[in-house]
Amino acid sequence: MDTKNLLEIRNLNVDFKTPRGRVHALREVSFNAPKGKIVGIVGESGSGKSTVIWAMTQLLAGNGVVECGEIFFNGKNVLDFSEDELRAFRGEEASIVFQDPMTSQIPVLSYSQQMSDIAYRQRNKSFREKIEHSKQIMRKVGIPDTEQRVYQYPHQFSGGMRQRAGIAMALLMNPLMLIGDEPTTALDVTMEAQIIHLLRSLQEELKSTVMIVSHNLGLVAELCDEVVVMYAGEVVEQGDIRQIFHNAKHPYTQALLECDPARVSNRARFLPTIPGDLPDLHIRPNGCVFAPRCKYALQRCEQDRPETYVIEGTHNTKCHLLDSSRDQFGTSSTIERQVSKTETYDSSLKNIIDFEKPPILNVENLNVRFEIMGPLQALLKRNGKRFVDAVLNVSLHLRQGETLGLVGESGSGKTTLGRAILGLVPSSRGSVEFDGRLLTDLSESVLRNLRQDMAMMFQDPIGSLSPRKTVGALIAEPFSLHNKEKKNLEEEARRLCDMVNLPHSFLNRYPHELSGGQARRVGVARALALEPKLIIADEPTAGLDVSVQGEVLNLMRDLQARRKLSYLIVTHNLPVVRHICDRLAIMYLGRIVEQGNGEMIFQKPAHPYTEALVHGVPQPDPDKRRNLVSIEGEVPSLTNRPSGCEFHNRCKYVQEKCKTLMPQEKVLPDNRTVQCHFPLIN
Amino acid sequence: MSEIASNKALESAKKDQDIKGHMSESREKLSLFLNNRLGMFGLMLVVLFFVSAIFAPYFATHDPFLMDIPQRMSGPTLEHWAGTDQLGRDTYSRVIYGGRVALKVAAIGVSISLFVGLLLGMLAGYGPRWLDNFLLLIFDSIRSFPTIVLALAAVALLGPSLELVLAVVIVTSIPGYARLARTSTLALKNTEFILAERSLGAHPAIIMWRHIMPNVIGPLLILAAMDVPVVVTIEAGLSFLGLGVLPPTASWGTILNEGYLVIRDTPWPIIAGGIPLVLTTLGFTFLGEALRDVFDPRLRKGK
Repeated sequence: MDTKNLLEIRNLNVDFKTPRGRVHALREVSFNAPKGKIVGIVGESGSGKSTVIWAMTQLLAGNGVVECGEIFFNGKNVLDFSEDELRAFRGEEASIVFQDPMTSQIPVLSYSQQMSDIAYRQRNKSFREKIEHSKQIMRKVGIPDTEQRVYQYPHQFSGGMRQRAGIAMALLMNPLMLIGDEPTTALDVTMEAQIIHLLRSLQEELKSTVMIVSHNLGLVAELCDEVVVMYAGEVVEQGDIRQIFHNAKHPYTQALLECDPARVSNRARFLPTIPGDLPDLHIRPNGCVFAPRCKYALQRCEQDRPETYVIEGTHNTKCHLLDSSRDQFGTSSTIERQVSKTETYDSSLKNIIDFEKPPILNVENLNVRFEIMGPLQALLKRNGKRFVDAVLNVSLHLRQGETLGLVGESGSGKTTLGRAILGLVPSSRGSVEFDGRLLTDLSESVLRNLRQDMAMMFQDPIGSLSPRKTVGALIAEPFSLHNKEKKNLEEEARRLCDMVNLPHSFLNRYPHELSGGQARRVGVARALALEPKLIIADEPTAGLDVSVQGEVLNLMRDLQARRKLSYLIVTHNLPVVRHICDRLAIMYLGRIVEQGNGEMIFQKPAHPYTEALVHGVPQPDPDKRRNLVSIEGEVPSLTNRPSGCEFHNRCKYVQEKCKTLMPQEKVLPDNRTVQCHFPLIN
Repeated sequence: MSEIASNKALESAKKDQDIKGHMSESREKLSLFLNNRLGMFGLMLVVLFFVSAIFAPYFATHDPFLMDIPQRMSGPTLEHWAGTDQLGRDTYSRVIYGGRVALKVAAIGVSISLFVGLLLGMLAGYGPRWLDNFLLLIFDSIRSFPTIVLALAAVALLGPSLELVLAVVIVTSIPGYARLARTSTLALKNTEFILAERSLGAHPAIIMWRHIMPNVIGPLLILAAMDVPVVVTIEAGLSFLGLGVLPPTASWGTILNEGYLVIRDTPWPIIAGGIPLVLTTLGFTFLGEALRDVFDPRLRKGK
């Protein structure tokens, strides 16, 4: 046991017993967490990165078994702890910040109660003392007005504040190690930046050891000192942050880094991907786990398990390619693989936007208003507002073959706008003109018929598929809905499957048997079944791993080029938007604050909010860490809009005029429109 | 060459695996059910109930209406396995034939109320707000009536009959199904997959029938299995009070009713009429609970 390491995991193997056999979730996992450092565990879904935490805190699900291995924490083996020792260990020596503060905090207890419950073992402290201590910690994590807020309940906190409270609860017992399980995944980019900043400053102040589990390379690059890369239950590479990000040796790490859209700096038409799927963890692989998807795989990689090769210091990796003696085996030729579809996409894409015809979609002054209370209730509450404006005076247009990105934080009304355009949410004012017809005037039954020409892709790839229907039935459904039964449905389903690169064997599966990327492809197939002219995609890459994300976007691009589709892409993920959108519209509190050419907006944002969003994305490069949080505060409630420019209370460049006077829309020389008194350019 | 061959073998192996993966979901449920001992016991009782009621003539030893006055109110004998009643009729045979009444009420009553309840519940959940409020008002008014009092009122107006018992059973159990269907529908209404269907231009009726119904029906079927004993006891209770099935038709309720009058002379009719009632109730309850455990993964215990 090395005293400079707080945590040492050696040869950890964890299995899950399922009715279909044992899943080998972790195999031969070994790594160290040095004292006073921030360690990041990176991996895609199914890599076992969270299982490491649960094994370490002995909180594995009922069917999980630690097969063998040792977990030394501060010199003691956690696996030998008794129940009592474990209780003392969890929360006091190692405590966890969870991904979703909404579900990990108790909704019926105020923070004061939850926090004094955490300190239940400090019997000599009175309730009052515990509350005082809680307030101190809450101040430390940047929660204002702690005197009152400590007595509030989780639902009274906003998302970012709730996560801060989660961190406060984890820090309450002054643990030796703070563990973050995807601590920013449920938050917006702007909130994410604030939490990263907070974690970093807390770590510097408390000199504690932090372990971050995440799929987000940007987050890890911004925050961590050491990185452990996991794939399919194994550690494939580990080392110092700079070594991993600048000098990755394992093909998986290299591919993962390549896939991150934020890292691809030129606006490439097609994104790199990792072809193939995660291996079945029921079967122990004979060779390297990554071999079936590896570009450089040798014959040997499929037969022998690679050993750990030390590259430099703590940097080591498990890969045969680093074996200097490999040539003597005479099998160094790489295995021939079928060229994946992604590589055969025609990358010489010309601009297909049709500027001759009038725009296919024309939205004028669209408003969406939700009633939040009845007229009686509003009378009783006097000051209460009856309505909430989710979308305010939005105008936009979309040409054939064009992609427009609709970007904003959660609560900006972007999803509502997308649904209102399709008439899935009633609009209160304004007009939507699609292909020469005014949708807002049409009756529901006429609109239903018109839906063949406009399709929608939903945020949750699996949740947007009817769970009791097979993939085949789901793909063929649009035909039967629009009385195209004459066509051979099965044949059509197979044709669509080919179009989205889905094997035919999937036609008999049910949605829950699909991975996120496969379900997304089914969603694309359904959307495209009737050859629509417009597709509104709501967060098309949400819930997908980086390696799959590129595949879906490439597919969408390819189909656009071949069928002259128009896309309206609703997202908060700026790096993705940058790669696929021709134009961008930035939304804040239901209004479009900036609209124009995507590349220009990225290079020179005109609205301070756009600037904050563009700079808010963490870069997957440890040398480009930001020292300043680009935007403070959170999105105000829609029921309580700020006066004047609605962004003024978060704006860095705020002036007196902004607080009282609402800015008019300005057209900038480069054809951009912006709603700001003092645009950042010219 | 060999590489291509091995690739093909790999592919077909993968296909097999796909099929297996697909099958194993239902197989997993079946094995879960088969391993539930109480559930299997319940299933056995339920099967026994169905078989004995449907094939009553083969199970009965006597004509249920045949009176054997000299041997009235005898205890169990080799000839009369469960003794005879005050008119000398064979109690065992009457119990078997009584099962037919119980099965009729249970099967017809539960299936009609399940179907109507499902339909009204989905309408209330998916339809406009005013329809929901209107239907809820009706459901709540029905539920606020005690079943027996409602039955008494109906009998007072229309006279006792099996059809009336059925009607009372159906009317009073619809709200239970409808409320369950409505709650599940409300939860489904705002999910993305329903929105996705709407965005494809699906008619509301199609959405309800093809996409909401399959997701709602599971819990309703389980409720139905657990409702069967309730319905059987309502029928027996009403018949016991003389408000249901009329003598001389044999039903478990009338057997109990008649046995009750002669309980000081012989306990056998009461015992023989009560046992099948208890067993059927237990059987359906165990079966219902086992089904719920299998279909609701949240209730499954971790191993």
